[in-house]
Amino acid sequence: MAKNKFFSALKPNQGSLITLAVFILLPFVVGLFNGASPAQVWTNGSGQSKFIQGLAIEIFILALYALSYDLIFGFTGLLSFGHSMFFAVGAYLTGILLKNFGFSLGATFGMIFLAGILQALLFGMVLPRVKGITFALVTLGMASVFHVLVISSELGPYTGSDVGLQGVVAPEFISPASQRLRLYFVTLAILIAVFMLYKRFVNSPTGRVCTAIRENEGRALMLGYNTFYFKLAALALSSLTAALAGMLHTIYQPIVSPNVAGLGYTVTALLIILIGGVGTLNGALVGAVVFRLLDYGLRRYIGESASFINGAVYVAIVLFLPFGIVGTWRLKSAQIRQGWERLAKLWLIGNRRD
Amino acid sequence: MNHLLEVQSIHTFIGQYHILQGVDVRVPKGSITALLGRNGAGKTTTLKTILGLTPPRQGKVVFEGREINGMRSFDIAALGIGFVPEHRAIFRDLSVEENLKIAERRKGDYTRKQDFLFSLFPDLKRLINLPGTHLSGGQQQMLAIARALVADNRLLLIDEPSEGLAPVLIEQLMQAIRQLSAETTVVLVEQNFLVASQLAEYYVIIEEGRSVKQGKMKDLVNDKATIHRYLGAA
Amino acid sequence: MNLSIFFRKNLMLLAILAVLAGLFAAAANGMESSDFVITLLRGLSVGSLTFLVASGFSLIFGLLDVLNLAHGTLFMIGAYIGWTVYVRPDTFVDLLTPLALVFSGFMLGDVWTILSTRSLFAGGTKRVLPWAGILVSALILVGVLRSYPVSIWNPEDYAQSPVSISYLAGQGQNILPPPAAFGSISPLLALAGLLLGGLLLAFSLSLFNAGKQAVSKRLGWRSFAGFGAFLLAGIVFFVFNDALTAFLAALNTNWLFLTAVTVAVGAGIGLGALMETTLIRPLYIRPIYQLMLTIGLSAIGIEMVRAVWGRPEFTMPRPELFAGTGEACPATSLSDWWQYHCSTMILLDGRIRVYNEIFVPIVGLVVLAGVWMLLQRTRLGMVIRAGVQDREMVEALGINVRRVFTLVFALGVGLAALGGVLAAPSIGLSNMMGESFLLNALIALAIGGLTSYPGAALGSLLVGLLQQFIIKYGQIGIPIPFTDIIFKPTPPIVPASTILLMVVVLLILPNGLLGKKE
Repeated sequence: MAKNKFFSALKPNQGSLITLAVFILLPFVVGLFNGASPAQVWTNGSGQSKFIQGLAIEIFILALYALSYDLIFGFTGLLSFGHSMFFAVGAYLTGILLKNFGFSLGATFGMIFLAGILQALLFGMVLPRVKGITFALVTLGMASVFHVLVISSELGPYTGSDVGLQGVVAPEFISPASQRLRLYFVTLAILIAVFMLYKRFVNSPTGRVCTAIRENEGRALMLGYNTFYFKLAALALSSLTAALAGMLHTIYQPIVSPNVAGLGYTVTALLIILIGGVGTLNGALVGAVVFRLLDYGLRRYIGESASFINGAVYVAIVLFLPFGIVGTWRLKSAQIRQGWERLAKLWLIGNRRD
Repeated sequence: MNHLLEVQSIHTFIGQYHILQGVDVRVPKGSITALLGRNGAGKTTTLKTILGLTPPRQGKVVFEGREINGMRSFDIAALGIGFVPEHRAIFRDLSVEENLKIAERRKGDYTRKQDFLFSLFPDLKRLINLPGTHLSGGQQQMLAIARALVADNRLLLIDEPSEGLAPVLIEQLMQAIRQLSAETTVVLVEQNFLVASQLAEYYVIIEEGRSVKQGKMKDLVNDKATIHRYLGAA
Repeated sequence: MNLSIFFRKNLMLLAILAVLAGLFAAAANGMESSDFVITLLRGLSVGSLTFLVASGFSLIFGLLDVLNLAHGTLFMIGAYIGWTVYVRPDTFVDLLTPLALVFSGFMLGDVWTILSTRSLFAGGTKRVLPWAGILVSALILVGVLRSYPVSIWNPEDYAQSPVSISYLAGQGQNILPPPAAFGSISPLLALAGLLLGGLLLAFSLSLFNAGKQAVSKRLGWRSFAGFGAFLLAGIVFFVFNDALTAFLAALNTNWLFLTAVTVAVGAGIGLGALMETTLIRPLYIRPIYQLMLTIGLSAIGIEMVRAVWGRPEFTMPRPELFAGTGEACPATSLSDWWQYHCSTMILLDGRIRVYNEIFVPIVGLVVLAGVWMLLQRTRLGMVIRAGVQDREMVEALGINVRRVFTLVFALGVGLAALGGVLAAPSIGLSNMMGESFLLNALIALAIGGLTSYPGAALGSLLVGLLQQFIIKYGQIGIPIPFTDIIFKPTPPIVPASTILLMVVVLLILPNGLLGKKE
């Protein structure tokens, strides 16, 4: 009886739980394939598993970053071209605080938290003035100014100007070199926690108002909601998440390239959620996986002209998966299932005849 | 009877909302037909569906014996249907003259129709070089109707002509519509029952996306029960 | 209109313009007159190029609501096509025949529509057929084109790379290689293959739309006229290949440059029309995915340019009219320049390059006026202006808006290509030129007003001037008052300054300087 209850509680979350299990087991399974025992993987022996863990960590960070963009763009309908600044501030601040000021990780996190709030307020300041594409351009402007600051030679001792921030030593207990497995699980845990939080947020009354703002801001205003505060709340949550993703990025990567502050990195977030499906949350995760693996695979096997195929894949996705992977799946899942069932039936009938 | 336009049980969706759930309208040639009904009943959507701006998912629209549902909206309009939308949709950056000229379907339409248009709406002649932004509500309404008359349209779809106009202007407008209906068949959406009852010969009542009643206006005027039930007015 | 009302309504605009004029005067005051003239004209030059990108972008955005992020890439492609025609006319001529033959199939649109609506195949075949057709036609085309002789450079080999060809051409020592000859494939077979591939491709693509288009009238001679014209053109180009190459190669560089400009603009127009009808059109109902599409196309375009022309930067030689370096140069007056065709001239003590700093701004002004006339004086312009405001109403008047969309998109891309080919001799060709000019154009539009045509001009001018003045002050330094410090703006500040101007303008006037209030 109790067992049944347990399973019936599991049932609706089947998909997520399976995914979770896959990611928990992934390092060990990859290790096994390459002849490394789970114990070896556990002690961070170098090998294929460690490499895959690294790739996965990058994907988790990208997913966090894309989630944060989905929240303001996909759910609240704020098109920002300055999102990379949220991420870059987190990344640079972490690096500088750890390296130049010798902060502890906890203190750094506190500062990141503060910075995240401040950034949201900065973007929020212009919210009442500009809407739509103009908001996108103003945020692009603010992010560009930050980008220029980062690559300016005056701040070189801190930011490493156009070479990038180098020589950040992550604290030993989550060092990507010696404790990668731990870092892997920490990142995964953070991603899951943020994902759950986001699910909660978009289904909460506040989140619903955000969606209403996306659909029709005038109507939300007329219903008596001060849309400004809701947009600000979404921005703050998004900014914090992106800054956190930036922090993880610095901990994992030995070099923070100034590119993460540029427009290109915002476009990355946009592409990821377009690939996955705008306003779906799951889409951000799926998109991050597809985006990173595609980029990695193409660069590895095709080399220089990878971005040609990349571009072609984007065009193909736009034409054939009109609402992103998750979005199209949701629309078509009934049809797809029917197709499979039909196929299965054909198979069965064929077998029976034999 | 000779019907210029026949709308046969059309169903129209906007997004996922099933707005029209079976509307039938028959418009006799040379008449004024009014679509009546409460706010949000689907009157404007009916007009837009006729014109193909919100294409119907089911049902037929027949204009001059030709099935036009499924055609592209500009092709439908080019068959000879003029549209005067709810908020007039005057092109603000274009002068009054350009607003008229743009509606030409053949070269010279405007020069040919000029005198007729100015006899209908004498005010326009004075305003001819002003940009569309500078017109008052009544002037905009007149311009919008004039614009729909530049090309040789056999059918005119007019949405809420009297909305937001002063009584004097409404009177003027009704005159003009009556005058033009001598040559053009008119379908009118009108909230103001007084205006509609004075102008139209026939009526169709639309309620919750369905056409529930139609007939001659003079019968409706005496049918207080129907008026009360569907239009809420006395 | 009443003057005081005008002042009150546009107070902020006038205030901003006054501040900018003040800054400009201060900046002018701080430098020598020769520096000032050079900087001013350079600003005009960059402003003109920016304007060519921005105006097309703004027309497209205004009417179609498409943020065409591939616009910069199309600008770049215009530059590279122009360079090819100008420096390697033989390659250009060689390519004409295959292009004409492949595209001839697309001229038979009506025939395909009728064929595809007659359901020759049913069920599963119908789904597979278009794909199979595309595959087969792609195989045919690739097979034929691989062995089709096109005399071309080789970016991998330095001696034959565009960089050295361009350098030699600049020295007047560019010798075209002997024409490539048919080797492994017979000419007749190649031509037939191209034609067949084109026909099959066009038919397969039309199968996707089967049943979605209204079947048009009967087949008239018009349906075949375009096809015949392209076919004939292909054959003529094939027969007279060598003669045409020789003609172009012997042409005065001024005329050759004009040819290059024409071809680049034409190619831009064609590319734009193709892009709108095939890729952009299905996306009007999901606007946000246009961003992804155009980003993807942009990446593809850049990569193709890299593959064909290589990564290094190079410059297109200037036409003879702007390349003189004789004793009488630099010219001291326009008539002097006209006589000796000097590349530089002296204007108010400043030594300026005639092509960059006089010719380009003049072309910019001509285009500004020309497009303005088009918008104000023609029926097409009227429809565009009306469509920017209310597309649905234009449609309800019975105007084929889709055709106007295609025209505007093609026109916009054509303008960008013109900008590109004009930029090639002045700022040179590089893989990154598209992105930087797209960003410039976006900023200019935001400053001027996104869908306002005069706004595009004003914004581009401001962006060009601001950038050039800051670059100049980066060389001479700004003395900070009451101190001995001389502040020298570093290169990253150049884009940042325009962006900062944009942010300030947008925060005061959210619709830009000349944008309409909603």
